[in-house]
Amino acid sequence: MPPRKKRSSTAENEVDKPKKRLCSKKSADSSFSVKRCTTWFKTYCSAENDGSIGPDGMEKFCKDLGVEPENIVMLVLAYRMEAKHMGYFTLNEWLKGMTYLQCDSIEKLNRKFDVLNASLSDSVTFRNVYRFAFEFSLENGIRSLDKTTAIELMNLLLDGRWSLSKEFMQFLEQSKFKGMNKDQWYNVYEFSHHILPDLSNYDEDGAWPVLLDEFVEWHRQRSNKTSETGVDC
Amino acid sequence: MSGITKGKKDTKMRIRAFPITMDEKYVNNIWTLLKNAIQEIQKKNNSGLSFEELYRNAYTMVLHKHGEKLYTGLRDVVTEHLVLKVRVEVVDALHNNFLQVLNNAWNDHQTSMVMIRDILMYMDRVYVQQNNVENVYNLGLMIFRDQIIRFPLVHAHLRDTLLTMVAKERKGEVVDRGAVKNACQMLMILGIDSRSVYEEDFEKPFLIQSAEFYRLESEKFLAENSASVYIKKVEARILEEAERATHYLDKSTEEPIVKVLEDELIRKHMKTIVEMENSGVVHMLKNNKSEDLACMYKLFCRVPDGLRTMCDCISAYLREQGKALVTEDDSGTNAITFIQSLLDLKDRFDHFLHESFSNDRLFKQMVSSDFEHFVNLNPRSPEYLSLFIDDRLRKGVKGMSEQEIENVLDKSMVLFRFLQEKDVFERYYKQHLAKRLLLNKSVSDDSEKNMISKLKTECGCQFTSKLEGMFKDMTVSNTIMEEFKHHLQLSATNLNGVELFVRVLTTGFWPFQSSLSKCNMPSAPNMAFEAFRRFYLGKHSGRQLSLQPQHGSADLNATFYTMKRSTAGSSMDLVDDGAASSSAKSLRKHIIQVSTYHMVILMLFNKKDLWSYDEIKNETDIPERDLMRALQSLALGKITQRVLSKDPKTKDIEPDHMFTVNDQFTSKLFRVKIQSVATKGDTEPERNETRNKVDEDRKHEIEAAIVRIMKARKRLQHNVLVAEVTEQLKARFLPSPVVIKKRIEGLIEREYLSRTAEDRKIYTYVA
Repeated sequence: MPPRKKRSSTAENEVDKPKKRLCSKKSADSSFSVKRCTTWFKTYCSAENDGSIGPDGMEKFCKDLGVEPENIVMLVLAYRMEAKHMGYFTLNEWLKGMTYLQCDSIEKLNRKFDVLNASLSDSVTFRNVYRFAFEFSLENGIRSLDKTTAIELMNLLLDGRWSLSKEFMQFLEQSKFKGMNKDQWYNVYEFSHHILPDLSNYDEDGAWPVLLDEFVEWHRQRSNKTSETGVDC
Repeated sequence: MSGITKGKKDTKMRIRAFPITMDEKYVNNIWTLLKNAIQEIQKKNNSGLSFEELYRNAYTMVLHKHGEKLYTGLRDVVTEHLVLKVRVEVVDALHNNFLQVLNNAWNDHQTSMVMIRDILMYMDRVYVQQNNVENVYNLGLMIFRDQIIRFPLVHAHLRDTLLTMVAKERKGEVVDRGAVKNACQMLMILGIDSRSVYEEDFEKPFLIQSAEFYRLESEKFLAENSASVYIKKVEARILEEAERATHYLDKSTEEPIVKVLEDELIRKHMKTIVEMENSGVVHMLKNNKSEDLACMYKLFCRVPDGLRTMCDCISAYLREQGKALVTEDDSGTNAITFIQSLLDLKDRFDHFLHESFSNDRLFKQMVSSDFEHFVNLNPRSPEYLSLFIDDRLRKGVKGMSEQEIENVLDKSMVLFRFLQEKDVFERYYKQHLAKRLLLNKSVSDDSEKNMISKLKTECGCQFTSKLEGMFKDMTVSNTIMEEFKHHLQLSATNLNGVELFVRVLTTGFWPFQSSLSKCNMPSAPNMAFEAFRRFYLGKHSGRQLSLQPQHGSADLNATFYTMKRSTAGSSMDLVDDGAASSSAKSLRKHIIQVSTYHMVILMLFNKKDLWSYDEIKNETDIPERDLMRALQSLALGKITQRVLSKDPKTKDIEPDHMFTVNDQFTSKLFRVKIQSVATKGDTEPERNETRNKVDEDRKHEIEAAIVRIMKARKRLQHNVLVAEVTEQLKARFLPSPVVIKKRIEGLIEREYLSRTAEDRKIYTYVA
C-alpha cells in the first residue's frame, strides 16, 4: 500500500500543480488511510488473541518503534486508543488512537513521539493519562491494583514529576497495604499536585485517604529522625 | 394707685410697680439690719429677733432688685464667721477633742443656716431661681466645706483621726463610734447632691488603708494558721467590716470595703489556701470535713474565679483517686470490688456536693466530667460493670430488699452513663443475662425487667430489643413445653424415661454462636429430642432447630458399685441398701447434676468401662477446649466431685490417659452438682475475641450511619460528615475520625459514595 500512495502523490506533483494548492499542504506521505492503518495493525495481531494484538505482537510493535514497553509513551498511546487491557490492542482501539494521531505507519508514529511526550506537560492531559493508567492496569474483575504493579506504574508516571515520588515509593514498599484502589490512586495525583514538598500545607481534615495520612506521618517521622541526628538538610 | 385715675377711656386696670426709688441709704440700712441679725443667729442669740421683720426686710430688698447685694452680703457674712471664729476654734482643738469640737461647730452651723434660710426664703425662691445660683442652705454648706473641712490642717487631721480610730477598733480597742458617725454623716451632707466629699475626704483613704491593713493581716494569718481557721477568721472579718459600715460609717461604704477584703484576704491567696498542705482542700476532702468545705465554698463564691480555683483543685484530687481505682495491678481485678469502689467514690462526692457545695452546677459538672474521664481509662470498665450488675441480679445475694437492689441498680446506671463504650457493655450484658436466664439464676424477674427498662430509658429501644426478646423466648418456651407435655399424653409417646425440658431460643436475640458446637448425643436423649423436634416443626414449619450442647444441663441417675472393705469396724462402708455379705458389691445411688457435655461423656461409660482421652474425643466429637474443661471438672476437681478417675493421676490430660468411673466416689448429699471449671469474667483470649466482635459491629454501624446520612443530605463535606457520624453514634461509642475515614474509603470503593469532581473534599451519594 505505501508504494501505491507514493505513486499517486508523485503523479499529482508532476501533473497537477494547481490541484496541489487545493490539496492539503502536507507532504504526500502523511495523509492518513484507514486501510493502511488496518494493514499495519494486522502485522502485529494474532489469531490466538481473537484478532487483537497480544503480548507477542506488542513486543514486536515496541521493538519496531524502538522503545521499551515500559516507556511512558506507550501509555499515552494506549490512552489515546482508550485501550481496555494492558498488553492488548483491539482493532477498534488501534484505529481510534492512530486516527487521532493521524499515523498509519511506524515512521509517522516515530515522528509523533515528541508530540506525545510533550502532551504530558499539559496538566489536564497528564491527569487523564494518569487516571487512565489505573483502570488500564487492572486485572480482570479485580478492583484494586496489587502493590508491585502500583509501585511500578506510579514510578513510571510520577518519577521526575513529583519531588516526593521516591519517598512515596519507599513508603509503599515498607507499608503493609496490599492493593491500591481507584480512590487512593486518584488522590495520590491530587496530593502530588497540591501539597508542597515540605508537607507544610497538608491538613489532616483534607479528606485525604488514610494511606496518604500514613505517608505524611511516616515522612515526618523520618525527617525528624534525620534532623535529630544532625544531618544537614 | 394713681394708675386707676388715669383715664376714663381705659377700662383696663393698670397697677404700676412700687416706686423703685429706694435710695442707697435705705438699702444699706436694711442690709445692716439683716447682717446683724445673721450674726446674732450665728452667735446663737436668735431669741430676741423678730422673724416677721427680718423676712419682710429681706423680701423688700429682693423686690427692689437688690437681691444680689443680699446674696453676696450673706456669703461674706457667713464666710467671715466661719473663718474668723469657727475655724480658729477648730484648729485650736486639733489635738484636743477635735471631733467633738468639729461636730459641735457643724451642728451649730446647720442650725444657724436653717434659720438664715428661713428669713431669706424669698430670695431663695426668686433671686436664686432667676440667677441660677446655689440656694442659701447649700451656699452655707459649700462655704463650710471650703473654709473648714477643706482647710489643709483640718482636712488632714480629720482624715487621720478617723482612720486612726478605725484602725484602733480593728485591733480590738473601743472607740467613740458616735463621733465617727457624725463626721461621716457631715461629709455626706457636705457633698450636697453627691457623695463626693465623703468619698474624697474619707472613703478613698479609708479603703487604701484598709487594703494595706488586710494585706499584712492576711500574710500573718496564712503563715500562722491552717486553712480552715483562716477561712473562719476571714468570714469574721468580713462580717465585722460590713457591720462597721452599717453602723457608723456610711452604708454605701459597705460594698467597697467588703470588696477590698475579698480582694486582699481571698482573691490574692486563693491558690495558697486551697493548696495548703495538711489543711487545704485535699486534706478536707480526705477527712470529710464538709463543714469547712462549705465555709470555704461560701467564701470563695464572693470572688471571681474563686470557685474555679477550688473546683480545679478538687478535680485534680478526684481524678487521682479515680485513676488509682481503675488502674489494675497484676494481682488480678475483682470486678465487683472495682465497681463498688467506684460507686463508693461517687457517693462520697455526691455527699460533698450536697453538704458543702449546695449542688453548685460548676462542681456537678466537674464531678461528672472527671468520672467520665477515669472510668473510661480502663477498657474493661464496661465488662466489669456488667459483671457487677450480674452479681446483684443473681440468686443468693443475701439480705437485699427490693428497694436496696433498686438503689444499687440506679447507681449502676449513673456509672453506665459515664461509659463511652456502651456497645461493649451491651455485648457483655447480653452474655451475662443469657447465662442468668438459662441457668435460672436471677433473683427476680421484676428486677431484671426493671434494669432493662432503665437501659431503655437511657439508650432507646434498639439497645434493649434483643434483651426483651430473650425474655420473651423464655416465656414462650414454657408455653411450648406445656403443649409438648400435653402432646405426649395425647399421642402416648414414650420418651424412654427421659424427662425433657427444652428452651427454644431465637438465634438473633441470644449472643451465642449457633451450630458451631455439635456433639454426638447418646441415643436416649437424642430420641427424646427428636420427638420434640418433630412436634415443634409440626407447629412451626419453615423453622430450623439446632441443639446447643454447650448450654444445656442434665440430671443423671448414677449407681456406684463399691467393693465392701473387709476390715472390721471400718467407716468406709457407705451402704444404703444391699446385702450384708462381706464380699458382695453394694450399690450407692446419686443424682448428679451436670452439663450436657458431662452427660455425653458419662454415658459413654454405660457402654464400656475404660476410655482413653482420644477415644472419648473421637466418640463424642466435643470440641477440644470444652472436652478438656469437662473432663477436668469430672476427674480433677475436688474430691467430692470426682465422678471419674484418671490414670495416671496427674493434673494434666494427655491423649492416652485412661478414664474410668470412680467407684470410690462418696458424697453426703444425694444430689451432687458437678461444678464446671468456669471463670468469672473473660480470659485474655476471650476478651480479644469480644473486642474483635465489637470492632466488627462498629464498622457496620459506622457504615450504616454514613450511608444513612449521605442518603438524606446527598452532598456533604468531609468534616461535616465525620461530625455528623460521630454525633449519631456517640450514644453507643466514640468513633475515631480515622476509622470513619477508612469506612468512607471503603464505601467509595464499593461505589456507595463518590467524591465530587469539583472538590475532592465533598462527597456525594451514589444512588
